[in-house]
Amino acid sequence: MLRQPLTRALALSSSSRIAPLGVRRYAEALAQPEKVEVFIDDKPVYVPPGTTVLQAAAMVGVEIPRFCYHERLAVAGNCRMCLVEVEKSPKPVAACAMPVMKGMRVKTTSDLTKKAREGVMEFLLVNHPLDCPICDQGGECDLQDQSMAFGSDKSRFTDIHFSGKRAVEDKDVGPLIKTIMTRCIHCTRCIRFASEVAGVDDFGTTGRGTDMQVGTYVEKMFLSELSGNIIDLCPVGALTSKPYSFAARPWETRRIDSVDVLDPLGSNIVVATRTNEVLRILPRTNEEINEEWLSDKSRFACDGLKRQRLVTPMVADSRGNLTPVEWEDAIVAAAHAIRDCPPNKLVAIAGELADAESLVALKDLVNRLGGENVCTEQYFPMGGSGTDLRSSYLLNTKIANVEDADFVLLIGTNVRFEAPLLNARIRKAFIHKETDVAYIGPKVDLTYEYTHVGDSASIVKELATGSSNHEVLKRLQSAKRPVVILGADQLKTSEGSALLAFTQELALRLQDKLEDKEWKVLNVLQRTASQVAALDVGYKPGVGAILQDGPKVVYLLGADAGVVTRESLPKDCVVIYQGHHGDVGASIADVVLPGAAYTEKRGTYVNAEGRAQQTLPAVTPPGKAREDWKILRALSEVLGARLPYDTLDEVRHRMAEISPSLVAYGDVQNNNYFAQARVLAQSLQKPVSGKLDVQLKQLEDFFMTDAISRASPTMAKCVQAVLKQKQSPY
Amino acid sequence: MAGALARIVQGTKSHLGIAGPLVSITSGSVRFQQTESQGKTKYGPLADADRVFTNLYGRHDWRLKGALARGDWYMTKNILEKGTDWIVNELKTSGLRGRGGAGFPTGMKWSFMNKPSDGRPKYLVVNADEGEPGTCKDREIMRHDPHKLIEGCLIAGRAMGAQAAYIYIRGEFYNEASNLQVAIAEAYQAGLIGKNSCGSGYDFDVFVHRGAGAYICGEETALIESIEGKQGKPRLKPPFPADVGLFGCPTTVNNVETIAVSPTICRRGGKWFASFGRTRNSGTKLFNISGHVNTPCTVEEEMSIPLKELIERHAGGVCGGWDNLLAIIPGGSSTPLIPKHVCETVLMDFDGLVAAQTSLGTAAIIVMDKSTDIVKAIARLIMFYKHESCGQCTPCREGVSWMNKMIYRFVEGNASPKEIDMLWEISKQIEGHTICALGDGAAWPVQGLIRHFRPELERRMQTYAMTHGPSKAERLY
Amino acid sequence: MLKAISTATRLSMPTLSRSLPAFSTSSSRFASQDPTTRKEAPKIDTETVIALPAEAKEKQVYESQICVPTKVDLSPISGVPEEHVRCRRVRIYQPPKNAMQSGTNNIHHWEMEFDTRQRWENPLMGWTSTGDPLSNMKLQFTNPDEAIEHCEKNGWVWYLDCPKTEKEFKTKSYGLNFSWNRRTRVSTK
Repeated sequence: MLRQPLTRALALSSSSRIAPLGVRRYAEALAQPEKVEVFIDDKPVYVPPGTTVLQAAAMVGVEIPRFCYHERLAVAGNCRMCLVEVEKSPKPVAACAMPVMKGMRVKTTSDLTKKAREGVMEFLLVNHPLDCPICDQGGECDLQDQSMAFGSDKSRFTDIHFSGKRAVEDKDVGPLIKTIMTRCIHCTRCIRFASEVAGVDDFGTTGRGTDMQVGTYVEKMFLSELSGNIIDLCPVGALTSKPYSFAARPWETRRIDSVDVLDPLGSNIVVATRTNEVLRILPRTNEEINEEWLSDKSRFACDGLKRQRLVTPMVADSRGNLTPVEWEDAIVAAAHAIRDCPPNKLVAIAGELADAESLVALKDLVNRLGGENVCTEQYFPMGGSGTDLRSSYLLNTKIANVEDADFVLLIGTNVRFEAPLLNARIRKAFIHKETDVAYIGPKVDLTYEYTHVGDSASIVKELATGSSNHEVLKRLQSAKRPVVILGADQLKTSEGSALLAFTQELALRLQDKLEDKEWKVLNVLQRTASQVAALDVGYKPGVGAILQDGPKVVYLLGADAGVVTRESLPKDCVVIYQGHHGDVGASIADVVLPGAAYTEKRGTYVNAEGRAQQTLPAVTPPGKAREDWKILRALSEVLGARLPYDTLDEVRHRMAEISPSLVAYGDVQNNNYFAQARVLAQSLQKPVSGKLDVQLKQLEDFFMTDAISRASPTMAKCVQAVLKQKQSPY
Repeated sequence: MAGALARIVQGTKSHLGIAGPLVSITSGSVRFQQTESQGKTKYGPLADADRVFTNLYGRHDWRLKGALARGDWYMTKNILEKGTDWIVNELKTSGLRGRGGAGFPTGMKWSFMNKPSDGRPKYLVVNADEGEPGTCKDREIMRHDPHKLIEGCLIAGRAMGAQAAYIYIRGEFYNEASNLQVAIAEAYQAGLIGKNSCGSGYDFDVFVHRGAGAYICGEETALIESIEGKQGKPRLKPPFPADVGLFGCPTTVNNVETIAVSPTICRRGGKWFASFGRTRNSGTKLFNISGHVNTPCTVEEEMSIPLKELIERHAGGVCGGWDNLLAIIPGGSSTPLIPKHVCETVLMDFDGLVAAQTSLGTAAIIVMDKSTDIVKAIARLIMFYKHESCGQCTPCREGVSWMNKMIYRFVEGNASPKEIDMLWEISKQIEGHTICALGDGAAWPVQGLIRHFRPELERRMQTYAMTHGPSKAERLY
Repeated sequence: MLKAISTATRLSMPTLSRSLPAFSTSSSRFASQDPTTRKEAPKIDTETVIALPAEAKEKQVYESQICVPTKVDLSPISGVPEEHVRCRRVRIYQPPKNAMQSGTNNIHHWEMEFDTRQRWENPLMGWTSTGDPLSNMKLQFTNPDEAIEHCEKNGWVWYLDCPKTEKEFKTKSYGLNFSWNRRTRVSTK
């Protein structure tokens, strides 16, 4: 369109979309710290003291080129690409590290600046191989971009005829990251990410001068659950994605903004597709959830979407083998089984990847048939307020606010593997805000130091009742913004309700004394992406007692966690499985209805904070698979209990009727019924004595936790590689 | 402890057969020379009485006893008690400029440390990582006069309120580190340093840290990193070490020679020191003369002494006579060379050499006579810098190795004459764009070579083209 | 489809007003207020709009209420097939920064996209084929208002999607890498 030039012009004058808003907020937050006036290309700008030249320039929309600088990593100042001329300084200064001084006049387009950039660019290219045509970074490479914008128009590297360029041996850092170290420009972003964000201090440089190499010192896998992010960070093609290698060019792929569902945080992602195939998943910036990181499972498990898929409806034949049938037959078979079943013998179980639309449809269907047995796989104690008050099962502090916490108490949750990006936030607070962390549970590596209080549930009781003389209690009481995070896994034991009650008691005691009345202390970290929506909709948490009554029909909506086994069901029980992967659920099913995975449907997922977000269809479901709520709608028609919605908008309207928060996309509400929950839970405060245990202890436990990641060959390779690394002496 | 100190002071007096009168003589001569220094036209030779380093050649005892005999540790307590301002003032009066190469006024540097404390300790770091090719002055101090350095640490530490001094000594200096360590132990035992140093009530520790032999660790911030146990990679400035230095605390990094002359300056007065050399280039200085001279040596001389006189008088002249001289690198390998005609007149001080488009550096004079392959000599220096570049920042990492590749082709002449300008540009592209001065130090010798020996470079390329045909480098043009 | 419209009418119940604002008749009304507060399109009765006069009259007879569109609506004359007007949802968004690149010059605008429909690999060349004529339409707008106006003119149902990307301004400090008492001290390089 002809709008293009205008867009550009406006975009330039309206400056960066990050900085100006940030400044405004900063100014509001602090009582106007004395601002320093600096001039960027003669444009005056007022910035807080300590701001770097590069940041000040960003505020007026001047983007200074950089390689080593990254706003979420420490300043390194070693690439020298950001050199700018500063009036009265004989030498150009590195804008990324130079704090502004009063009246400083920065010239970002002067000859000196341009010459400096061109010089640095030339040096970077001297030893950078000219293999762009076979480089996976091609098309989205900072070095390409910046050499186009700031480099020289011709090469004068005469030594190409004599000694050629430097060649560096490639490193093996595991099955996710492919290294072509000859391309490395030594920006050290990966090193800084590893040591600051991932907390795995394995990366570093060896050698000096032109022989300097980035690597892991000894051959070692990058043992981190966030390792994939260094692929994004690498400004050149030195670190690229191994599963995605030579798969596609960025300009051939179509990018669809979506939401990840493989952990409870709902990280924002971009799904890159080509010809109805998901090729890779990249993070999408969302400051409130994932910043711009993504966990390895969310990023690399996408090849699981192509394997083990249920592509056609199936019905068990007379010998019990599942045979492909047409939709009509499968729906009719399912309808027969359900119609013949007394409503109280019909059990519907929702799995961890179910979207809110299908959850609503399934519940509505069961209710219309007169049944009440809809439940999730994950347990949550129903004593006290149970799931009536939203605050009892959410991350009330919110992910982003965890950064501001000054003391974090983790109870029975290995955050590092249950919600890697929440752990990254805690680590960020640990490093940048000097936040201290205490942990109750079995010893695990959280990538930062923590006070290990023990692994007994009774500690929670002691802390809650104030009878503990552990220093952690004093720290909690003196903290201005404490955070208590309880792992939902702990609640499935018989002591779960008491543990929750004590945690509520502890959190509320702390919260009542806080000066900051808006601050929320209590957090329950769910394990799955569907649980919060299911509880919001009114599902019963946990299967437990329902199965003991001997159900006649079990309807599994993607329930693959293995809580239902054939042995636990009566012989004549019919199992209907609706889902997208041939996993645990489908293997015990009599009727299989193929559904859509999260990249194939417009589905609502509510994350652990209670924030509703929607996935967008990036590709169409494979074979005869269909969107889940539509399958249920069709089934209801055959059953004669027609669900009253025909379009997605109508389903969403029904969801809004149940809870407006389910369709308030992107928003999260504050919950305030803590006190009521506490009162209701007081009777549950019974002595607890058990040991807290977490399911995911080691890195190898992290990779394969759900139907998609279990089907992913990349994830399987990761597990193998981690186990192999354990054999290594390093 | 106080008793021990008193004994030493007593003992010093009895031992001060030489040093005692020396002090009284100089107090007279200070006034005399001060009046003359304004109109002084002749600099050097330095009178024996004015030498700071009286055991430069190791002819006397280097241990405490010998040091006391030479006047070290004499009245140190008094100096300490005169306080920070007095010491800093005396240093400012003396006009002492850093002896490590950059020549920053020492008094001013120390005064930066006297900002109000924010609870952080302060440190003095002594840069004994003498790695510059051609330079061998600090090692003489450390192996033959270590007590001068230790006393200097104490006085400098007092001047900036430092808690401790870290002497970062080059790994290759094994014997020097050993002597220094012995001297420190002696000083501790004698109560000169440690708790209540010299009885002044001031606590001061001195630690020796041995490096592992990296030239870059002679850069002050890289040196700090190295002491902290990290890779010796320079930091950006700001923040300057006086703000965020060793272990994140205010730190001053000084050269060994700078620190070692400070006790003498305090004892004999800043004005005495200022009486040598031209204004703003005052003092005495250790010169290292190496290369094609008859008697290579390290010698203490007055600043601003003419280069020719220095060589003729102390180094026995250039091999084969002055006319056999080709060029001189006047301040250690990182400074641009100067050809013979410049050497005739140039004065060995900061300003004199800057006027000759070079620099005093560490005052390590490398003399090259006409037998030298000057291009190869410079190429060898660039190879050194290529080897010693830390690899942190781009221009130095990539640029110096590129220069190295080119200049080795220049040695053969296998290059295009246009590449001379290109090499010049590349050296300019490195200079001033790096984190530390190593990039500059690698660029300058090349610039000196091109500035003064361009015809030689072109001649070689012609010769090569005649015998081998045009160089492959011509292809790009 | 009428059902959808009636649903939409019900959607504007007070309980939902926060997420689903009430009907609008004109875009200009939003020029002053922040368009990002609007999350959902006003439903246009395309049925009425594209109906032939005779049909419309017939409808009038059967319906007690008369629905008169007051908006500029190009859909009846734009030539876009009816199915691509009524069944499509338009997402109006700001393109996210590519995580692989640090440049931001190509994301300071707003775009609209239609819901993804099936694509398949063309057996001849291996290229991507689609039956969706709108899927390759890439329009850029300087602000969401323009995009909304465009969608409304064409009769597309739109919604705004704007994740929070602004972050709190924090000054970067090189000195923190060497801080004496902070955990920001770096260990390696």
